[in-house]
Amino acid sequence: MNTNEFPGWTERARSLLDESARDLDAPALARLNRARQAALAQRAPRRRAGWLFMPAGLAGACALLLAVGVWQARRPPSVATPAAAPAQAATAKAGSGLNAGDLDMIASGDNLDMVQDLDFYAWLDAQDEDHNG
Amino acid sequence: MTHTIALSAPAIWNPARVDAVHTGERTLDQFLKSVERRALRMAELATCNRDEALDLVQDAMFGFARHYAAKPAADWAPLFYRVLDSRLNDWHRRRNVRSRWLQVWTRADDEDDERDEIAQAPDTNDPGPLLRLAGTEAAQALEAALQRLPLRQRQAFLLRVWEGFDVAATASSMRCSEGSVKTHLSRALAALRRALEDHA
Repeated sequence: MNTNEFPGWTERARSLLDESARDLDAPALARLNRARQAALAQRAPRRRAGWLFMPAGLAGACALLLAVGVWQARRPPSVATPAAAPAQAATAKAGSGLNAGDLDMIASGDNLDMVQDLDFYAWLDAQDEDHNG
Repeated sequence: MTHTIALSAPAIWNPARVDAVHTGERTLDQFLKSVERRALRMAELATCNRDEALDLVQDAMFGFARHYAAKPAADWAPLFYRVLDSRLNDWHRRRNVRSRWLQVWTRADDEDDERDEIAQAPDTNDPGPLLRLAGTEAAQALEAALQRLPLRQRQAFLLRVWEGFDVAATASSMRCSEGSVKTHLSRALAALRRALEDHA
């Protein structure tokens, strides 16, 4: 610093300020020391904690990716035909993987009985084909 | 019980030398040690209160260690004073808001109470270390004159004249243009000269 750029009295002001900083009392210095140590301490664990959390975050991201991959692989492939498109759109709009027909079948007790006697209906169908043709 | 803390002179901060050696925790500790006393005096001149000043310096140390310690050591001093300056500005803003609310209430109590510039000035009855140590009229006048300066003028004076920063580093610390630094410093020097001309 070029001290000549300031008026002469600033030299005395500077020395007075230096004295005041040099001769701070013991309680003030003790408090400054504690503040300094605390500032250094809060910096060190923070940096190490970052390194500790990095593998955990990486593992979490991998698990999430794996879960999304498995979910995508287990989804049934949807074949969009022109006739089925409106129904699929309606299903998608309803936010569910089931269509309305499935829900009706599950809700109806009669239809469940039909499913239990599926062998009988298959035999009946075969008899009809033999008879017709 | 007596305090056994050594009242030695603060270490001289030399960025060029520190850059050449280890720049780890120990270096940061050394740096903070080299600036803490001046920082406390700056904060004390701004707040006229030792406890408030210590809190501000502690906040500044925390902020600096958290955000700027990874920067090159040569830049530490302006960056530390930037954090401290920010804390001082926040403190003044909060105090101004508080005093505005107080004025509203006190005006309701006493409408005839006019604004008294002397009463608004910082309390100089508490002499502070400057007067306690020097015990001279010059020290008292300097302390009082610095306390009466507006915050920006005082910071410009302390950073340029006392800390020895150049205009660019001062502008960086105060987050203003170099022209503003020159203006603040010019006004500060004029005000202080008027107050201290008998002691110059």
